[in-house]
Amino acid sequence: MRRRWPTVIARTSVERVLAERGGLLVALGFYIVVVAVLAGLWRVAAAANGGSIAGYTAVALTWYIATSEASTVALNIRLIDDIGNDIGSGAVAVELLRPAPVLGVRVAAELGHALPRLAACGVAGAAVATISGGAPPRPAALLLAAPSLVLAVACNIVAQHAFAASAFWLRNAGSAWFLYQKLVFVLGGMLIPLEALPDWLGSVAAVLPFRSMSYAPARLASGHIEPLLLLEQVGWLAVLLLAASVAFSAGERRLQVVGG
Amino acid sequence: MAIEVRGLTKVFETGRRRARRRVEAVRDISFTVDPGERIAYIGPNGAGKSTSIKILTGILHPSRGEATVLGVVPWLDRRRLAMRIGTLFGQRSQLWFELTPRQSYRMLAAIYGLDRQHERARVSELADLLEAHDLFDVPVRSLSLGQRMRCELAACMLHEPEVLFLDEPTIGLDLLAKQRFRELLVRLNTERRTTIFLTSHDVADIEHVARRAIVINHGSVIHDAEVATMRGALLATKIVEVRLGEPIEAMVMDGVHVLEQSPTILKLVVDTGTTSIRVVLDALLDGASVVDISVVDPPLEQVIAEIYGLPRR
Amino acid sequence: MRGLLATMRNSLAEAGANRLALGSQMAVMAINDIVWAVFWVLFFDRVGTIRGWDADRILLLLAVITSAGGITLGLLANARRVGSMAVEGELDAVLSLPVAPLAYLLLRRVEPTNLGDIAFGLTLFVLAGSPTVGRAAIFVAVVAAAATLMTGFLVLTGSLAFFVGRSEGGELGFHAILLLGSYPVDVFAGVARVMLYTVVPAAFVSSVPARLIDSFDIGQAAVLAAVSVAFAFAGWATFTVGLRRYTSGAVWTRA
Repeated sequence: MRRRWPTVIARTSVERVLAERGGLLVALGFYIVVVAVLAGLWRVAAAANGGSIAGYTAVALTWYIATSEASTVALNIRLIDDIGNDIGSGAVAVELLRPAPVLGVRVAAELGHALPRLAACGVAGAAVATISGGAPPRPAALLLAAPSLVLAVACNIVAQHAFAASAFWLRNAGSAWFLYQKLVFVLGGMLIPLEALPDWLGSVAAVLPFRSMSYAPARLASGHIEPLLLLEQVGWLAVLLLAASVAFSAGERRLQVVGG
Repeated sequence: MAIEVRGLTKVFETGRRRARRRVEAVRDISFTVDPGERIAYIGPNGAGKSTSIKILTGILHPSRGEATVLGVVPWLDRRRLAMRIGTLFGQRSQLWFELTPRQSYRMLAAIYGLDRQHERARVSELADLLEAHDLFDVPVRSLSLGQRMRCELAACMLHEPEVLFLDEPTIGLDLLAKQRFRELLVRLNTERRTTIFLTSHDVADIEHVARRAIVINHGSVIHDAEVATMRGALLATKIVEVRLGEPIEAMVMDGVHVLEQSPTILKLVVDTGTTSIRVVLDALLDGASVVDISVVDPPLEQVIAEIYGLPRR
Repeated sequence: MRGLLATMRNSLAEAGANRLALGSQMAVMAINDIVWAVFWVLFFDRVGTIRGWDADRILLLLAVITSAGGITLGLLANARRVGSMAVEGELDAVLSLPVAPLAYLLLRRVEPTNLGDIAFGLTLFVLAGSPTVGRAAIFVAVVAAAATLMTGFLVLTGSLAFFVGRSEGGELGFHAILLLGSYPVDVFAGVARVMLYTVVPAAFVSSVPARLIDSFDIGQAAVLAAVSVAFAFAGWATFTVGLRRYTSGAVWTRA
C-alpha cells in the first residue's frame, strides 16, 4: 500500500484531465498558434542567413520550437501560485496529516495532470512541424525526444515546487513564479536555441538546470542524437528533488514551530 | 401618473439548438401607480419581479406592450429617465468597494449634474436623514451590510428622484437592520412624496412599507389591492387555537378543518363563510374542557400563499 | 463629460488604493516586458536584419504595443471584459446611470498590472527609440491610434457575446491580437498576412506604427488612422445594437 499511492494518484489525475477536455483544447489551440508563429519567425531568420542559424536548418528549428513549447504548455501555468497559495492558506498543513509525503503526492498529481496534455501537444506539434517545416530531420531522434519530454516536464514540476517552497517563509510566491518563468524562457532554451545565445550567456545556461526543462528534448527532436542529454536530465532531476525535499522539510518544520 | 404599464411582455430565449426554449418571464402585465404611492411588488422567486423592474428602469427591452415612467418610455429614453428615478438593487452595489461612500457620491453628483454646493448640501441632508454621519468616510469594504445599504440608499437619493425602484433591498440584512431600512423608506415617502416601488419576497416588507401590493406569479399579475383589505377580502378564515384540559374525540363540523390535534392542543381553521365563529366557539366550550382559547387572523404569509394559488386576473 | 472625468478619477483612486500591491504588480509586468526585449535583442544579435526589421525597429514595435496595450488593458480595463459582462449580466449598474454606457463602462475600471506596460513602453522608447521631437510626436500619435484600434477591436469581439450568448469570442480576440501583434508582420506570408491587416488588425497595432516612426509616410499614417476609427466605430455600433438584446442575467443563457 505504501508504494502504490503515486500510481493511484497519477491515474486519478489523468482521468481528471480527460474530463477537462475544454481546457485542453484551449491550451492546444494556443500551442499551435504560438508554434506556428515562432517557428515561422525562425524559418524566416534561417532563410535570411544562408539557410541555417547556429547549425540548425529551418526544418530543425521548426521541430526545436515545437518541442520546447510543448514542454511548457503541458504544465499548469498557475502551478507555483497554487502551491504558494496552498502553503499560505494552510492547506499544506492539512496535507501533512496524511500518511504520504507531501511533496511526493503533489509532484505525482501534477505529473499525472501534465502527461495527457503533453501527449496531445506532442501529436499536435508533430503535425504542425511536419506541415509547416517538413519531415523530422532524424526520425530516430524522436525516440529519444519522447522520454526526454517526460523528464523535462518532471524537472520543471519539481523545480517549481522548490521555488514555491519560498511561500513557507514569504507570504506570496507570485514573484518567485515570474522570475522562474523568465529564466526558463531565456536560459532554458525555450524561445532561442541555446547555441544561438552569445557565448557568455550560453556558458551560464550550460551549468543551470533550466536546460533540462526545455532545451534537452528540443535539441533531440531537432535531429541531434545526443543520448547523454537524457542522463543529464536524470541527474538534474535528482538534484532538484533533493533541493525541493530539503526546502519542503524545512518548511514543514517551520510550520510546526511557527504554526499554520 | 408615476408609472403606467399596459400589456407588458418579455420573452427570453434560452438553451442552444435543439434544446431551445422560450421563457415568458413577464406576461401581459398591466397596472398604474400614482405619484407618492408605496407599492410592494411581490412574488416567489422566478415570478418575474426583477425582469419587470429592469424593464421599467430601461435596462431591458420588452417583447411586447407599453410602459411609461414619469411620462417617459424607459427603454427608449433611458438616460433622460435615469435623471429622475433612483434604483437600488439589493444584490448589486452602486458604491465602489475600495473607496469611501463620499467619493462615490462625488462621482455620482458629477454624473447627475449637481454642482459642488448642491452636492455638499444633499450629502449632509442625507447623512442626517439616514443617521449615517460616521459612515460616509469609511471605505465601503469596511462597512457592515446594514451600514452599506444605508449608504446605498443615500446614493440613489442623491439627485432627489421622484420615483425610487428597489429590487430586494433587504436581502441579507438582520432583523434590526431591515426594520430600520423600512422606516427610512416610509420616511422618504412621507417627507418627500417619493414614489416607492419595491420588489420583495419578504412578507414583512409588505406589512411595514407598502400601502398597496401587486402580486405577481409565473409572469402575470394575480392580485392588486390595498394591503389592508387583502386579508379581509381574500380570506374568510380564522384560526382557532385551543388548549385542552382533557383530550377530546375528533371534531367534525362543516367548514371546520383540523390543522393539528394532540391530547392537549387543538388547532382549527374555520371557513367563516360556511360556519360562523360563534357556532364553533359554542361547540368547543360545550363539548370540550377548554383551558385557553384564541381566535386570530391567518398570518399574511398564508394570505399571500393563497393568493399565489389564484388563477390569473 | 464631467461625469466621465469623475469616473476616471475614481477608477484611478481605486487602483491606487493599495500602494504596495500597485507597485509590485507594475514591476512584475515590467519584468515580463523586459524579458521580451531581451529575447528580441538576442535574436537580432544572432540573426541580423530580416525583411527590413532589425533590433532597433523591433524595440520600437515593442514600445508601441506595450504602451498601447497598457492603455487599453490598463486604463480602459473593461475593454477586454465586455463579453463576459454581457453574458454575466454585469451591465445593470451601468445602465442605471444617465451616462453613455460604453464610455462609462470603459472608464469604470483601471487594472494596475497593465499600467506597468505603459511605464515600460515609454521608458523603452526614451532609451532605445532615438527620441527626437519629431519621432516622439509620431510615437504619441501612433500609440493613440493603436490604443483606439485595440480598444475598438476588443469591444467589437466582446460585443458578439450579445448575439451569440457566449463570451469566448472576446477572449479569443484579445489573445489573438496581443500575441500576433508582438511579432513583426513581415514574418507572416500569404493568407495569414492578409488577415493581420484586416480581420485581426495586429499589423496596425504594432508593425505599421513602428515603421511610421522610422520613416513617416502620410499615406500609411492615413490608413492607420482610418483603420483605427473604423474599428472604434464598429465596436461602438456593435455594442449599442447588442445592448438591446441584453438579458441582464435574468435568464441563464448557457445550456
